[in-house]
Amino acid sequence: MSSDPPGPTVKMFFREAIARALREEMERDERVIILGQDVGHYGGSYKEFSGLYERFGAARVRDTPVAEAAMIGVAVGAAAAGMRPLVSITYMDFLMLGLDPLVNYAAKARYKTGGQLRAPVVVKTTAGARGQGVAHSQCIEAWMMGVPGLKVVAPSTPADAYGLLKSALREEGPVLFVDHKRLFPLAGEVAVDEHCVPFGQALIRRRGDHVTIATHSGMCRVADAAAELLAASGISCEIVDLRSLAPLDVTTIAASAARTGALLTLEEGQVTCGVGAEVQSRVREGLAILRTARVGAAAAPVSSSPVLEAACLPDAGRVAAAVRRLLS
Amino acid sequence: MTTRIADSLALLRAMLLIRAFESALMRHSGHGFQLLSSGQEAVAVGLCAALTKHDQLLSSGRSIAPALARGLEPGMVMAELLGKSPGPCGGRGGRGHLAWPSQGFFGAHAVVGGNLTIAAGVALAMQLRGQPGMVACMFGDGACGSGALHETLNIAALWQLPLLLVCDNNGYSVSTPQAQALAPQPLATLASPFGIPAATVDGMDVLAVRDAAIELAEHARAGKGPAFLECLSVRFATHSTATRETRPAEEVAAGKVRCPIGQHAMRLEGEGCLDRQTRVQLEHEADAAAASALRFADSAPYPDPRELLLNVV
Amino acid sequence: MIYQLAVPGPIEDVEELRVLEWHGDVGKIFAAGEMIVELETHKAVVEVRAARPGVLRLILCATGDWERLDRPLALFGDDAAEPLPASAETQAKFLVEFEVT
Repeated sequence: MSSDPPGPTVKMFFREAIARALREEMERDERVIILGQDVGHYGGSYKEFSGLYERFGAARVRDTPVAEAAMIGVAVGAAAAGMRPLVSITYMDFLMLGLDPLVNYAAKARYKTGGQLRAPVVVKTTAGARGQGVAHSQCIEAWMMGVPGLKVVAPSTPADAYGLLKSALREEGPVLFVDHKRLFPLAGEVAVDEHCVPFGQALIRRRGDHVTIATHSGMCRVADAAAELLAASGISCEIVDLRSLAPLDVTTIAASAARTGALLTLEEGQVTCGVGAEVQSRVREGLAILRTARVGAAAAPVSSSPVLEAACLPDAGRVAAAVRRLLS
Repeated sequence: MTTRIADSLALLRAMLLIRAFESALMRHSGHGFQLLSSGQEAVAVGLCAALTKHDQLLSSGRSIAPALARGLEPGMVMAELLGKSPGPCGGRGGRGHLAWPSQGFFGAHAVVGGNLTIAAGVALAMQLRGQPGMVACMFGDGACGSGALHETLNIAALWQLPLLLVCDNNGYSVSTPQAQALAPQPLATLASPFGIPAATVDGMDVLAVRDAAIELAEHARAGKGPAFLECLSVRFATHSTATRETRPAEEVAAGKVRCPIGQHAMRLEGEGCLDRQTRVQLEHEADAAAASALRFADSAPYPDPRELLLNVV
Repeated sequence: MIYQLAVPGPIEDVEELRVLEWHGDVGKIFAAGEMIVELETHKAVVEVRAARPGVLRLILCATGDWERLDRPLALFGDDAAEPLPASAETQAKFLVEFEVT
């Protein structure tokens, strides 16, 4: 891909990028702690916390019982009282169990106390479908984008997982950090030097002229594959990786859409009130004349039956077909 | 005057202030949506008598007694309740989210049971930072059916958090009596499966509350883990200013006979520590303080609408 | 004969591996069952063992380097003297057992 970081880089797995960001931030700031199921000696479901328990100990890398409301609530309370916790919610589906402390307390703590309290907590959660069934497959980041006081980021590469997580751990308020099951097999180049990726900046992953595909997280790979399919027919796609959903970089998307004249938003979540609906609304506010289309999951829960799961999720073929319809 | 008598009079003063404050508030036509603590003053006052400056107090949406008992300046509390700018939350929190952490009142939270896990988190932070002190979290019987309480009890016990959970049990969750909402009896038994020491006391007796709170707070402060205190109280008003009375008149009247202020004053009079003249004087002082608080809040400005987005992110 | 050593695919979800450790240098004779190299996937370690004896002749992918499944990591031979071919990919595959842990 054309968007490797500048300067000397090292190739690492997606999970290693996460562990590296955490290790650096935990060394730099003793207030950073990790709470979650299986984060300690187990090292995380994807080994994304590997080595941290051994290095920082049980007080700072804590296994919790299965209790998402308490996991998030305790992290939020600790944050309000001066710590900088990261709480790991293994499946994004279970974020729902902890929405009260996240939305009703953390996102409102600074506002409701007139600035006396801040809740610098990172809720890290893994979205996406990979054969695990209706309640272990969801992408609900669109539900969270509109919560005042809450920031939402979604990396698609190891470099961005590293840089966005470092930024998240330095934020002054709550951040929802959404990674994806299908990103963990990835390996990618990450800059050797410590650095943060700022929020609110989308990244153009692929240059093109005929259509802008605005997407994020696990769907970036699908967009790439669709672009390859379409290139064979002479259609060139520009792929914009949102990276940051709240705050959203409308400027970059709109500039691309103004040039290509066609905007297709792609997400693994639902299109109804989805990320794409928001992206298109905002882009249209500045660009009156624009052809648009939304692609997302089918409006059904994603079961574990592989044929049904595949039928639910956007794939390169469906995306390519949608681009053709949009441009026809 | 001995310390014991001075302390006892201080408890009376604190309860009188809360009662007078709420009366003044209710006489104000723009009082807004309120949950009153009248009748339940002894719980907050007795608890706060056990707290030090190193401790933090969280409460439910029934926040007036906890805030005043913790020592927050009445004018500031009134301003916050009326949504005025000088309030500690800039008027944005109101009664449901009243907070002044630097004064030891980490804050109220209006979601029933919503402050429980938060309180555990504050306690965890204290524990990790090696700070002296503990966290007390008040909640009503209404929160005792929630999963949040179960999760908080479990994690507080597991991690030996310095947390005192105080159930201000007035017997009703809005219109639902305790027996129809909750299987455990008494509610303090909720703590037993987790090995958490617990006590049930008469919440209309400020000394009973104080003495139990001191013992259980010390347990938490000493690093021995959480504790649970159930205080049986009676609320004199309706659940909230938006709720109808559902209790029979005789029941409310019987509750008022057990007024915590009246009982405590009678006890002090019986011990010869309080005479009629002093009692009247104390009541006048409370009324004056309440009136002064209301005057301050009434004349205070509302927040500037141009600052609507301040402190959102 | 010269053989190429490769990790055979498919392995579910795995596209690339990183060499963790070679268990010997060029010239070493590996017996059947002996561990040749360990590689890391995104979630596990792959242990590659010789399924028959052979001599390690050339390491193509050093410790810390990345390679894809079915791609040559090294060249093996029946003896230490046979000249090496120009291309690794055309060689027959060296028989290995591998275990994903």
